Amino acid sequence: MHSEPLDPVIHAPARLRIVATLATLPDGDELSFTRLQEILALTPGNLITHLRKLEDAGYVSTEKTGNGTAGKTTVALTSEGRKALDGYTRALRGLLDGL
Amino acid sequence: MNTEPGTGNSATADDGDELDPAQAAAILAQATRQAKREFDHPAPWRLVVIAFVVLLAYGAIWLSVRGQHPYGGPSAWAMVVTFALIAVLIAVSVSSARRATSGITGPSVRQRRTVAAAIVVVYIAVYVFAGALKHLGVSPGIVSGVYPAVGLLIIVGAAGAGLAAAKENWLDLGTALAIVGAGAICAYAGPVGVWLATGISLFVIVSARAGVLAWRHRA
Repeated sequence: MHSEPLDPVIHAPARLRIVATLATLPDGDELSFTRLQEILALTPGNLITHLRKLEDAGYVSTEKTGNGTAGKTTVALTSEGRKALDGYTRALRGLLDGL
Repeated sequence: MNTEPGTGNSATADDGDELDPAQAAAILAQATRQAKREFDHPAPWRLVVIAFVVLLAYGAIWLSVRGQHPYGGPSAWAMVVTFALIAVLIAVSVSSARRATSGITGPSVRQRRTVAAAIVVVYIAVYVFAGALKHLGVSPGIVSGVYPAVGLLIIVGAAGAGLAAAKENWLDLGTALAIVGAGAICAYAGPVGVWLATGISLFVIVSARAGVLAWRHRA
């Protein structure tokens, strides 16, 4: 049986959790970096690394407003990111059904 | 700090080579449930508090009107208790909404504020309409009994059902329709019985919603 391959950008525990968390928000909503970090219990450095990989693939967008301590970074899942998660979920289902 | 496999501080250790599909499915399901738990409001335990507060408020009014012949409406002490309980209800709801939406920006937050403002207008209109009924000489059993007990629920519930249907939010739609249905049926209990019947109905509906949410959030 032929199954879709699992998207390697999403197929890593931390990135999978980031994408799944952002996907529960309604389309167009953004989440602050701090709240995302709090929910996932990741260190800032680790979260930044994973977000960069997802951003390079076009799956998330980040926006920084303000400077210094007043600065705030928000993260959102892009429509490509949502499609990629749907494809990943489909592929995962296909693999699990084939087991 | 971190209990998930592969989500430690080293990003390089977090590639998916060692992740089998079953593990990935478990992480995906767990992360989705956790996020829903974080963003859903009110949380199930807060809903249980709300259910009890509503039961107490309606129960206090029922205690003050039972045995009234002819029906005169809720007594002053019952209204004080009810308004104090409504203040608790608002405080619980606001703190729950603040916690759930902390760090979230975007269209859904703006939409939620607009809906809250619209509901406030509907509430005020319902009470202004009750004033008009009183002015027209409608009996106290309707103006201070059946109408405030269930009229508000049917009108606000119907508005909520429309919004939930538009957003395809089936839990909200089910809750709103249950409230509208319960309101319509409880109206038959008369000006005294309507307070107790509505209080119990709302307690059951809100508790059932808490149960559904708790089931959805199960770890």
